[in-house]
Amino acid sequence: MKFVIFAGTPGSGKTSVIKYAIQELKTDFKLFFAKFDCLNTKDDQFISERYKIPVVKKLAGELCPDHYTALEIPKIIKENRDKDIIILETAGLCLRCSPYIKEGLGINVLDVISGSPDCYGPILTQADIVAVSKGDLISQAEREIFRDNILSVNSQAKLVEVNGLTGEGVIDIVEAIKASPEIKTGKLTLKHSMPSAICGYCYGNKTIDETAVQQRYLKGKELKNLVPNLNCGKCGFKSCNEFIRAVLDGKAKKEQCLFIKQEKN
Amino acid sequence: MKTEIEKITILPGVNKFEEKEKFERIEIKKGEIVAIVGQTGAGKSQLLYDIERLAQGDTKSKRVILINDKRVDKKLRFDPKRKLIASLAQSMNFLTDISVKDFLSLHLKARGKRFNPKLIKEVIEEANEITGEPISPEMNLLNLSGGQSRALMISDVANVSISPIILIDEIENAGIDKEKAMQILAEEGKIVLIVTHDPVLAFNTDKRIVVKNGGIVKILKTTLKEKGIGHYFNWVGNYGLEIREKIRGGEKVEKVEIFCEPVK
Repeated sequence: MKFVIFAGTPGSGKTSVIKYAIQELKTDFKLFFAKFDCLNTKDDQFISERYKIPVVKKLAGELCPDHYTALEIPKIIKENRDKDIIILETAGLCLRCSPYIKEGLGINVLDVISGSPDCYGPILTQADIVAVSKGDLISQAEREIFRDNILSVNSQAKLVEVNGLTGEGVIDIVEAIKASPEIKTGKLTLKHSMPSAICGYCYGNKTIDETAVQQRYLKGKELKNLVPNLNCGKCGFKSCNEFIRAVLDGKAKKEQCLFIKQEKN
Repeated sequence: MKTEIEKITILPGVNKFEEKEKFERIEIKKGEIVAIVGQTGAGKSQLLYDIERLAQGDTKSKRVILINDKRVDKKLRFDPKRKLIASLAQSMNFLTDISVKDFLSLHLKARGKRFNPKLIKEVIEEANEITGEPISPEMNLLNLSGGQSRALMISDVANVSISPIILIDEIENAGIDKEKAMQILAEEGKIVLIVTHDPVLAFNTDKRIVVKNGGIVKILKTTLKEKGIGHYFNWVGNYGLEIREKIRGGEKVEKVEIFCEPVK
């Protein structure tokens, strides 16, 4: 099984590139498409109706979308052992993280008018492939300068110019996907670590106040030690962290978590 | 290492209906200018794209492009610093907030070349031969007029990119001397392919490739008569540029001076 992650800022053309890649790959390979977003998306529906391949939609909601992606990857792999290629599209927002995994292929779709490449973090610097989109909006000279700027922050990347309207260039991405390594059973590793999530704000604190945030953190930590951290979903929440926030906000009871309940008995 | 290009060859692929194109091979030699013409959606840009990525039967059209009668190795296709092909796209506007001079030195750097004030001066001088309103090195790119932007871009492609093959996709050409522009682009034995329906540009060529339904259907040799017609239209255009400058300068224009130099 091959695992391909597409990341890029909203509107950079990820879905268009993926669309053409799926078109090229779907006859020879069994595909699965997972779409991650924060609040809402219809891309999963679009891909499934148009290309008749199985898809899943994952909305991060209260969670950081990259954390959520990392949490969900093992499940996606487990449920799709029979597929040849899994294509995952991330929400890719704050540029602090990158969702890429070492064992798979990481593709950054980067829009030429989205600003200077050195403002991007690991989403660009750790990509295996940088798909430069919307190149037709700028001059050849500016395109060449942009290309040089990308290589100055990620000299290892393979650069591909793509056109999301016509599909030009996607063929090179398809080739790279075909040549990417197979995921063996065993550990997957993130290319980049996630941000530290160690304050009361991470547990849903809203008041900007030192004491409030400290107290919230201590309460959150206490609960964190009680929950199984398996994100099993049996409490009705997507993840243990989301459950903890709900408990702290008074929207859920501790005992809704089956593990906490069992421990008590 | 610089590859000397004597000619490129297009081997037939298929059209939109998967029918094989009806030609043996099309050869374009060093120094030739070729127009690509056809209706919207006929496959003009696809042909340019095939050439740009030096297609080896791996694009939609299945065409194969040879250089000096040989297939092209992968490195040559993807390494930008060894790129054989420069292209001018439909968009002829700049987006970078920077002076003309600094922009050109950045582009030199991106092309793997050293800072060269003499070359930068030349690029600007040559651009000024194409446009009516002179560009100065300190001007901001974003403040250039449409004609100035196009002129600078053309001169930049000719002098900084220095690729032996130049592809032009329906450039907007208001406000520039088109014949002069083509002269600058095609100098020193380059191969130029241009998608256009502008009589000046289309007739200022050696031949025209006609595209229909995604396939090449005809190759027309540009006749002397057509070259004359193109030249006439260029004269009219340039005369228009002069009048534009007069309007800009607040002058009155009440007569047309008819003088069109014959084709050389």
